[in-house]
Amino acid sequence: MAKIKEIQRRIKSIANTKKITRAMEMVAAAKMRKAVEAVLKTRTYANLSWTTVLNISQSTDCRINGEGLHPLLRTRSSAKKVAIVLFTSNRGLCGGFNAAIMNKAHDSIVKHLYNDQKEKIDTDFIVVGNKGRAIHTRYGHNVTAEFPKSDAISSVTEVRAVSRLVIDDFMAGKYDKIMVAYTDYMSAAKQLPRVKQLLPVDIGAEKDHYLGVVGVDSRVGLDREFVQSKEDKYLREKKNIFIFEYEPSPEEVLEEMLPRLIEMQLYQALLESNASEESARMSAMHQATEAANDMVNELTLFYNKARQSGITAEIAEISAGANALADD
Amino acid sequence: MYDNGKNIQFEIVTPERTVLKEQILQVTVPTRDGEITVLPKHMPLVSMLKPGVIELKTVDGEVKLMSVSGGFIEVLRNKVVILADTAERAEEIDIARAEEARVRAEKTMREATHLDQEQFAAVSAVVAKELARTRAANKWKRLRGGQK
Repeated sequence: MAKIKEIQRRIKSIANTKKITRAMEMVAAAKMRKAVEAVLKTRTYANLSWTTVLNISQSTDCRINGEGLHPLLRTRSSAKKVAIVLFTSNRGLCGGFNAAIMNKAHDSIVKHLYNDQKEKIDTDFIVVGNKGRAIHTRYGHNVTAEFPKSDAISSVTEVRAVSRLVIDDFMAGKYDKIMVAYTDYMSAAKQLPRVKQLLPVDIGAEKDHYLGVVGVDSRVGLDREFVQSKEDKYLREKKNIFIFEYEPSPEEVLEEMLPRLIEMQLYQALLESNASEESARMSAMHQATEAANDMVNELTLFYNKARQSGITAEIAEISAGANALADD
Repeated sequence: MYDNGKNIQFEIVTPERTVLKEQILQVTVPTRDGEITVLPKHMPLVSMLKPGVIELKTVDGEVKLMSVSGGFIEVLRNKVVILADTAERAEEIDIARAEEARVRAEKTMREATHLDQEQFAAVSAVVAKELARTRAANKWKRLRGGQK
């Protein structure tokens, strides 16, 4: 009898857990819808502004001796200090979301441990979201700044502080390279952790290492071709290549445009991460609900078996008793 | 649509949305150095915008107005991309509310005596933006009135 009671109790508790996970799944689904909507809305702007800047950075007016005109466009020959802006979630229960992005970031550090001059590269982390701290506790990486992430993201101002920090630190020479680690939202079922280069803005950077055209699977990492095709399409006529005019001047345009672009890219990364987080949470909670279902089914089977054998034993006892009496 | 060399592919986007994407004949935009009109086969150009009214003519000859609060314009051969901070189609602007917002913004500017430079810049930007909205809406009203 004790066994039956115990099984009953377990079934009840699992059913309760199931209710919770189902509710969380539904909440995550609603949040995901909102986050995805926000991502898709800004993608056009982020992609367009990115191609514009790449275009400008390629044009002859903005390059002196093959170098970028603006400091943010200049690649430093031997990068020794690198900062990674890491986007994580505030809360857990979202499956492997945080682990995946941190692994990716860690792998990228291990892969790029030494620069061209065989010098060791120091990497610092700038963390956005509460769970990012684990990059220090789990992997022992240095965290120099931690930014809180609000749950409802409304505008670009969310990342203003981060972008100001990275631009200032980059300009001051504290870092030679700024990378961004975020989770790209592909679909509700698929999210891809990525580590890409934010600063310097450099079209020659390694493919897929490089923040920019986001979201659309086939175009990611094809920026160079993308810009080239744009040039062919819009800037060439017969054999003439048209060059850009800048008003008031290339310097001033870049001075205004680049910080804003960096901000936009960070904002986009934040939105992508958010949409991915909610999707990850939704599928994690969905799986939890399914697992709870399976468990309840299995336990119900055990329960029935236990009950059945209990009844059989009782009947056997009664009939044995009756037989004993009849024999007399 | 196809490209016959007489149209411009026009696109205006803000961080929030794509405001308009259309084939047009010409567009007038307020840049920092003054108002410019872009016709097909314009020289490739990148320029900064100031708050003001964008006026364009679609391939059907229809005139459309928009208010913009700043941003960038990129002119390519037969393609114009405007990356605006904020932008609104004139028909979407509620004149009364735009006017109200402008008055409110101006009042803030007058009353605030102890603004540092950054705050002052922010407030003036709001005033300029609201002024642009009111102007776009009024112009639109006049335009509609003229056609009737």
